[in-house]
Amino acid sequence: MINFTNVTKIFKSDILSQPLTALDDVSFSIPEGSMVGFLGANGAGKTTSLKIIMDFIRPTKGQVSFSPELGRNKLEILKNIGFLPERPYFYPTLSGRDFLMFMGQLSGLTTAQIKTEIYKWASIFKIDFALSREIKTYSKGMLQRIGFLATIMHQPKIIILDEPLSGLDPIGRKELKDVIVQVHKEGKTVFFSSHIVPDVEEICDRVIFLKDGKLAYDGSVMSLMQSGKKQDYFISAHVVEGFMPVTSFKGVTKLPNNLEKYLVDSTEKDALLSELISNKFNVVGVEMQKPSLEEIFYNTRG
Amino acid sequence: MTYQKVKIVAYYTFKEILKSKILINVFFVGLILMLLTYVATEFTYGVPERVALDFGLGMLSLSSIGISLFLGVNLLSKEIDSRTVYMVVSRPVPRFAFILGKIIGLIGIQFVNVFLLSTMIVSVTYLLGGAITPLVWWSIGFTFLESILLLLVVLLMSLLANNILSTLISVVVLLLGHAVKETQNVGFVQNNPFIKTILEVYHFFLPGFYKLNLKDYILYKVTLPVDYLMSSLSYGLSYSVFLLMVIIYLFNKKNLD
Repeated sequence: MINFTNVTKIFKSDILSQPLTALDDVSFSIPEGSMVGFLGANGAGKTTSLKIIMDFIRPTKGQVSFSPELGRNKLEILKNIGFLPERPYFYPTLSGRDFLMFMGQLSGLTTAQIKTEIYKWASIFKIDFALSREIKTYSKGMLQRIGFLATIMHQPKIIILDEPLSGLDPIGRKELKDVIVQVHKEGKTVFFSSHIVPDVEEICDRVIFLKDGKLAYDGSVMSLMQSGKKQDYFISAHVVEGFMPVTSFKGVTKLPNNLEKYLVDSTEKDALLSELISNKFNVVGVEMQKPSLEEIFYNTRG
Repeated sequence: MTYQKVKIVAYYTFKEILKSKILINVFFVGLILMLLTYVATEFTYGVPERVALDFGLGMLSLSSIGISLFLGVNLLSKEIDSRTVYMVVSRPVPRFAFILGKIIGLIGIQFVNVFLLSTMIVSVTYLLGGAITPLVWWSIGFTFLESILLLLVVLLMSLLANNILSTLISVVVLLLGHAVKETQNVGFVQNNPFIKTILEVYHFFLPGFYKLNLKDYILYKVTLPVDYLMSSLSYGLSYSVFLLMVIIYLFNKKNLD
């Protein structure tokens, strides 16, 4: 749907300042129907990439192209995109309803269509009670939710969100994630940046990593997890008190009822298992150690 | 279609600013006008209506200049800082429609401000027995035009510099624009070819706000030919259109970061 090809962005605020390379020859694509997480530390270039996609800023080199399903000119393409910026603060003296009317009208919706969309989503977002209030009285979570409502109300084909989950409490994050998943199930492509790695791991099927303005990874979450697998195993067994295996192991966690959980390298796994079985200990579990996406993310950053 | 988008942006800009209670200044200016009128009635001999009218038109000018400066300088920077601009330009709205809508919305606020204050001024002058000559109406219209011109100057500056710098430059352009004609007539300038050339160049390129200031003519009851008024009107309008085109061009090219 969106191809981001060899994009470089260099910022130079004035003649005397050093040029800052925010993006260095970055290429990736957003396939139709996918849910793509855009990860990277602060300053990695995520927001800059999104701004280039949305044509808020122009790349120094490279280009962004859109598939014909999104439209043939800029205005047609924008009609099919829903964008929510990071930490938005909308017109403070407008009421929530006015703001949604404003956004809906700009997207070409009729008043009746806007009202239908508000009716459909406002209760799901738990914002219906505050629609008549001025936006300046909204909490951060409410701002995020009304912003998200404004982003999807015109039925865009792709939704682009910049840090939609940041600053929300766990319940707010869960609610918003549920809605993102629901919208994705309805057939929308979702592309969102985040620094909350577990959220991306939880709901995305694809992930793009940026590191210092360069592409560090672009592919499925599953492949990334596979690539990050450590060759270590946990072996749990009920043993007698004071038992010390002859086989070398990396660590042990003592649990109630003489249950011990050994961490061993794959090369020592079979030897330790044999030793435990030959001692007639009850082996209750063998599992491969799975690193979280967060661990992989931090390893990639390092 | 695009016209419709301009209208929508203008309507919500107007509504948002109106609800921000900016027009509370009308109340205060009105109050000051009443007080000054009372003082003028007590302390002037025979001409309180002229003093009231002069004060009134002066305050109308100050109030509209204040609105142009403070709202104009924030019109875009606030939108970009709070990222609301992204919500609008990520919709199928051409950038020129956005900026044009914002400007028209702000001009609408200026219109309400000028309308309410001038109604007050004219009423007070009339109640004190003063005559409302056609030149008073021209002056009110020109004050409105001056505020639009200044608003466009501020907006242009805010596209090129930060808020403080653009406010300062706009104030300097306003002051020089009012003083340039008189300064050109000063003997020292007449005898100094270098300064004279600088002022001529300035006069050629930068807005001559003095052309829109009729307050002295009203105070001294000088009549002005319609040709002069029409030429000032065309000057103000054409300069405004020129600035508007430059602003739209720059905003289309601007990186919204």
